[in-house]
Amino acid sequence: MKIFSNKNFVAWYFVFPVAFIHLFVIGIPSLASLALCLTDWRGLGEINYIGFENFIELFDDRYLKKAIINNVIWTIAFLTVPVGIALTCAYLLTGIKRGQMFFRLAFFFPYMLASVINCQIWKYLFHPIHGLGGFFERIGWDFLAVSPFTMKSTSLFAVAFVDGWHFWGFLVVIYLTGMYQVDNHLYEAADIEGATKFQKFRYITLPMIRPVFVFSIMIIIIWSVPVFDYVYILTGGGPAYSSEVIANYMYSQAFERFDVGYSSAIGTLMFFYVMIIVALFGLFRKAGWDI
Amino acid sequence: MILKFFNVILLNGGIMIRTLISFVSLIILSTSYSALAKTKVTWSMESNADRDPIMIEKLQNAYNNSQGNYELVIEFEDNETRLTSMRTAMIGGMGPDIVETPGPSYVKEYHAAGMLENLDSYAAEFGWKDKMIPWAYSSGVFEGSLYAIPKTHESMVMLYNKTLFEENNWKVPTTLEELEDVAGKIKAKGMNVFSYGSDGWQPTHEHLVGIYLNNYAGPQAVYEAIIGEREWTDPVFVEALELLKKHMVDEGYWSGSLENYYAIGWDDFHAQFANRGAAMMTIGTWTFQATQLGIGASDDEWGWAPLPSLSSQSPDPNFMIAIGTTMSVNANGKNKDGAIDVLNWIMSNKDKVLDIAKDFEFGEMVVPLTLSSSDIPTDIAPQVQDYLSEYARITGEGNYGYCTWTFWPADPGVHIWKDMEVVWAGDISVEDFLYDHQKMWDKARKNGDTLPVPLRN
Repeated sequence: MKIFSNKNFVAWYFVFPVAFIHLFVIGIPSLASLALCLTDWRGLGEINYIGFENFIELFDDRYLKKAIINNVIWTIAFLTVPVGIALTCAYLLTGIKRGQMFFRLAFFFPYMLASVINCQIWKYLFHPIHGLGGFFERIGWDFLAVSPFTMKSTSLFAVAFVDGWHFWGFLVVIYLTGMYQVDNHLYEAADIEGATKFQKFRYITLPMIRPVFVFSIMIIIIWSVPVFDYVYILTGGGPAYSSEVIANYMYSQAFERFDVGYSSAIGTLMFFYVMIIVALFGLFRKAGWDI
Repeated sequence: MILKFFNVILLNGGIMIRTLISFVSLIILSTSYSALAKTKVTWSMESNADRDPIMIEKLQNAYNNSQGNYELVIEFEDNETRLTSMRTAMIGGMGPDIVETPGPSYVKEYHAAGMLENLDSYAAEFGWKDKMIPWAYSSGVFEGSLYAIPKTHESMVMLYNKTLFEENNWKVPTTLEELEDVAGKIKAKGMNVFSYGSDGWQPTHEHLVGIYLNNYAGPQAVYEAIIGEREWTDPVFVEALELLKKHMVDEGYWSGSLENYYAIGWDDFHAQFANRGAAMMTIGTWTFQATQLGIGASDDEWGWAPLPSLSSQSPDPNFMIAIGTTMSVNANGKNKDGAIDVLNWIMSNKDKVLDIAKDFEFGEMVVPLTLSSSDIPTDIAPQVQDYLSEYARITGEGNYGYCTWTFWPADPGVHIWKDMEVVWAGDISVEDFLYDHQKMWDKARKNGDTLPVPLRN
């Protein structure tokens, strides 16, 4: 009994309630989902074991392949555009003494809005009749006459743009926080050496905020896997699967086609993909990366 | 001692007697309340701000006032959320007493899982079969037994701006040639041919696919494909969908272009039709109320017509038949008798049901009860009165087609609209699309997932 009153056990008492809830809300459903991927369950009724049939079908599914490619494009887009803009803006903001809070609030504001609201704003802006397209058309310009959400060539980028618009303010805030931790003496020394603003950014700011930066890269890669809401609301994955992503495809299989077993197989793939990313970052940490 | 006891009672009697009386009254009241209290019957229903008050007043309250045994409680919820939560509850052996689904493919799933009550004995006892349109009754029959009753049935029609047509001496099209001719004239006036779009409801595409399959290939060919006597890869279906692709992508009949069709939603296409942005609209009969409130409130008069025949294989006008929503009894429900009583009230009170449908211009709660011409209310839009008579006459003659959301199993039912975008985008050919479609039907047939289809005369 003495062991339970040991000081080292106290932390476990605090962790236990959360761990208990996680076990029921995440742990057991996740295990059930892993088991369901080997069945033909349709969401109701009896469950039949079908071995790896769902996975065989999965590797032959051209729309899943399309969704995976779209997820990769999405990840690359998020690793470049919002990160680039956020880094630049955060760095420029550090030089602003008056009114900085206004810009921080303005950049962060879309992040506070619900995804449905963000989507409706942009849907209306790009609407061919009521939106900017309709407005420009009335004054004789064909600019934006067609909504980018409804064109096969632009739909994925248009959705990524809206999601990125909502997300980059968050990155600004975390980069800014990292930049404020940098010792000012380093910049003073660089000034004495005659370093330019870019050189200070490249050789002082960026290396010094590396933990924050790598963390942001990691969450972007992980969050890009289950991306769903913006795609679902803006395009539903269309037109012609051009903006289809894995999570949306998984949802469609489970709730439109009632193929829960197949949908679980897709979920299992996503799970292993995220596990690999987390493991990679774990390896980097072990290799001595400061993350 | 006895005197002393009475003395205590007399001294404290006021409080004691009052307490005793209160206690006894409480027991009597609670006993009478339980005797008088009605047993609750729950019904999970799709919510709609305009519709809900009418359902409360004319269905829930009307039923509750009609008898003393049960209390119907309708719980309104957004349809997508409702379907997921109802499904979860039913897996857990709970859920509402009356199970409302969006169509036979959902009923099929619940029935296969043994979650719905067999209604055969009630149908026989209360004579439901004789009260209903035969095809609608058979849509709820699974493995020889009745499991669902349609709450509403519907069809597809072509609406047109009558005033505009008269002003321009345009003829309402009844054939493909006439359609293409009038479409050219409408476009020359700078208007869209049809007002329609899929924003907010991607399955809108299946309305158009259904029209082209039934009105080009003909209902007989569609029927044969549904029952497995004809392949979906048959050239007649290929031609039907090639024609749809031509009209959608090359001609931009719907809202001017494929991209605009994707961008236009319910409010937009009603506004477009009302303000002469388009001359016609292909849509289901659920729209009658919105049409009456839209173009019906403008200076223009609207009319309707059966969808034009698109080939010699489908020469006569037909109406596609469809079930909008269904009602079943939860096999694990707390009050099955109450649920049956509610369904029987609906089936036995034609006047009450027609009164509800009337408030929606027969776009909702159109229970497929057999009607005579004298049953059709006279205080609805004259266009709707005409439609109801024509629908009864034409479908009564056996000229009816098949809507995809009522007769297609779940998997091919999603494929028919979701992958149609891939055809329109030019990523795959119509032949390849129909090849995939046939494979899905084969799989559904093999798994016993096909849905009831009424025998054709």
